[in-house]
Amino acid sequence: MSIALFVLRRLGRGVLTVWFAVTVTFLLLRLLPGDPALAVASTNMTEEARAALLTQYGLDKPLPTQYVLYLGQLLQGNLGTSFTQSVPVLDVLAQRIPWTLLLTATALVLTVVVGIPLGVAAAAHQGRFVDRAVQVIGVTGQSLFVPSVGILLLYLFGLQLGWLPIGGAYSQNVFGFEWYGSVLSHLVLPAVSLTLIQLGSYALTMRATVVEALRDDYVVLARANGIPYRRILWKHALRNALLPATTLIGLQLGFLVGGAVLTETVFAYPGVGRGIYEAVTQLDFPVLQGAFLLLAVTVVAANTLTDIAYGFLDPRVKAS
Amino acid sequence: MRRPSALPAAAVTALAALALAACAPQAPEEADAPATGGSTAAAAGSDTLTIATTTDVVNYNPLIGNSRSDYWITNLMYPHLLSIADDGSKEPMLATDWGYVDDTTGYYEIRDDFMWSDGEPLTADDVAYTLNAVKRDAPAGTFYGQMGTFEAESAVAVSDTRVEFTLTEPDTSLVEEIGFWGNVVPQHVFEPAGSVAEFANDGSDGGWVSAGPYLLTDVQAGQSYTMERVEPYPLVEGGVPGPETVVYRVLPDVNTEILALQSGEVDAIANALPPAQVEQLRSTEGIEVVEVVGLGYAHMVYNMDNPDLAKTEVRQALAHAADYESIRQVVLQGQAVSTGSSALMPVLADYYDESLTEYEFDPELSRSLMEQAGYTAGPDGMFPVSFRLIYSLQDSVGSQWAQLVQASAAEAGITIELQGTERNTYLAMTNEGDYDIYAGNFAIMDDPVTNFRLSYLPGGAINYTHVDDPELNELIAQAGVTTDEDEKIELMRQAAAIVHEQVYDNIMYTQNLYVAHSSDWTGFISKPSELLSIVNPVSVASARKTDG
Repeated sequence: MSIALFVLRRLGRGVLTVWFAVTVTFLLLRLLPGDPALAVASTNMTEEARAALLTQYGLDKPLPTQYVLYLGQLLQGNLGTSFTQSVPVLDVLAQRIPWTLLLTATALVLTVVVGIPLGVAAAAHQGRFVDRAVQVIGVTGQSLFVPSVGILLLYLFGLQLGWLPIGGAYSQNVFGFEWYGSVLSHLVLPAVSLTLIQLGSYALTMRATVVEALRDDYVVLARANGIPYRRILWKHALRNALLPATTLIGLQLGFLVGGAVLTETVFAYPGVGRGIYEAVTQLDFPVLQGAFLLLAVTVVAANTLTDIAYGFLDPRVKAS
Repeated sequence: MRRPSALPAAAVTALAALALAACAPQAPEEADAPATGGSTAAAAGSDTLTIATTTDVVNYNPLIGNSRSDYWITNLMYPHLLSIADDGSKEPMLATDWGYVDDTTGYYEIRDDFMWSDGEPLTADDVAYTLNAVKRDAPAGTFYGQMGTFEAESAVAVSDTRVEFTLTEPDTSLVEEIGFWGNVVPQHVFEPAGSVAEFANDGSDGGWVSAGPYLLTDVQAGQSYTMERVEPYPLVEGGVPGPETVVYRVLPDVNTEILALQSGEVDAIANALPPAQVEQLRSTEGIEVVEVVGLGYAHMVYNMDNPDLAKTEVRQALAHAADYESIRQVVLQGQAVSTGSSALMPVLADYYDESLTEYEFDPELSRSLMEQAGYTAGPDGMFPVSFRLIYSLQDSVGSQWAQLVQASAAEAGITIELQGTERNTYLAMTNEGDYDIYAGNFAIMDDPVTNFRLSYLPGGAINYTHVDDPELNELIAQAGVTTDEDEKIELMRQAAAIVHEQVYDNIMYTQNLYVAHSSDWTGFISKPSELLSIVNPVSVASARKTDG
């Protein structure tokens, strides 16, 4: 199969996945038991006022009509208008996207940069202290609850030691390089929290794949040929183990975004995750649809890129 | 074997990096930034009062107020006609005098020294426009909900300082209720924007105008709202608000808020503290905890559409099967007071009736009442009834006492199934009457007549009991048209006695609220309820840095 066809097929699959996600999101939101009108005005409203609100939101139309109108809007790049804020959804999301991207990308990089050496070290010392320590860290990390970790970090590094700020994404009243420094200092704790909850699964996966790679015939042959173990480990076994780890990065992006909802809440980080939480409490369908579309596109794009990269790294994938 | 080329992978990585860079947060330009304000009080300057809130502003249009942050921030720009005292009585704010010209004509006399920040005077025309626009466009929110007997397009500015309007029928609560709940908006800004129900007022068309002590000048969504001092503000001495800048910082987690207060990053917390945090903060050096009078109540309501609950004895049995004192002591840590199981809470001093006493927790009496209602307990001591109690999982206090209610009812042989749901589901179930017992609370029940109308008249928006008692209806109707205050109080007490005896509502307590601020600041003027507390406009404008 040519590279172009391979890429096209992956892109086509991505578009179909996004359409599916858009449709499921649209239907699921309307299956929720709540009522957007009540979420805005509580129960202290007349039936007429409620009906007027539903008309204003376009929720008085039959479901298929709403769906067709929504898809039509989407194809024109229009994500609709927020029920509660009366402003375009794109404007609502545009303010928040950069912060979520910064947070999740940082956490992803940290996860990979720390997770790979941890996994490799554990595999290289299988059954010994380092291996057991990594496994304990891995399992513990997977069972951490973000808000608890977040508050603990804030208490320690924000209140007691005073090294890092408590909440927010940057200090106001600072500009230029100082502003970037402030962004960095505000980023540390949420990124570390998010990394901690992802690191375990990544390190354990790396460990398992490296252990498997170390059992392959070519490793035995390399050792028999007298190639140093360190070189076999880092140059040969790790390269092969990186393929499944690459896939995991794509998959983890979805989990990272999920974790960002809680992380952004505890650290008052102004990202999309927190926006989703607020929109859920207000049943703001357009904002939720826009946010989930954005997340779907991001995750699908990341996975498509991973697939394509995988195709380049392993010709067997492309051939299949 | 040919090694895979690194070029395509590098290209993909570079593309991804470029995409990320394009979306990266951009540093603000110095010229665009607010004059003051920031994420730390110290960085923001000594004349900046930084207040923490848990939510972002949802809507800048005060006529569509939704979240508490909407209320707090828009209140600093759009004045109310009336304020409220600790006993629930109304006080002057923009209006200096108010009342009725005759049975169906209301009026407000307003101050002549309020100005909008763009130089336009605030006159009776703004008040008349606001009232008529809200009635006409029906924006979602409490303001419109209070305008039931207001006749459409009837408000007229009869002078620069006097507004008169017509009522569709006599209603002695209307003037005070819309005066208290409604903000006045600038006609010259809102009228050109069309329907007030759809106007975002998000400042995108040249910013905001304010007739309050502060003007919103900078919004960092999800982060902070910066407001600058507006002079003169006639409601503070000397006309100059204390803090030069007020910054509302959004810290969604209350624990993060408390850490930020302790570290000095914020100077005050706007929302009420969770009961469990009050004592800890009281003993924290540098923090002042202020008690705020509660004007609402928590209650249980029994749905009379259920044939079992339609029986008075069953409702009485349930009322005697809850240990209210334990709930107040254990769940609320003593930070609540009994209302004598009456909607006329002690805080409403003129209306409170000491002769109504709290339903005593007495499982044996409950059992006896159940037997009077015709039920016989089985061998396990349980009666053959089961009631489904709904509550919101977002209400942590209610979620806890619901468990206690279930346990104490079991002692009386009554089975209660708990159904805690997410808030929107809870609201939908409430609206559809999909419950046997409703557990919830109201933040402000300031006017007894309005409260009784909504709660106990057929079709009332919060008549969750689904009660229709002719005697009660008549008393509420009479109270609604009686101008003699003593007579009105007597009628309301009679109505409350019926509600109490028939258990049309089971009022459990009024929660005392506590808010916290840094002891670096002083001068706050607390008002009842979480909505006003120490962040009401006069309080914020009166705040001062402590000496030294």
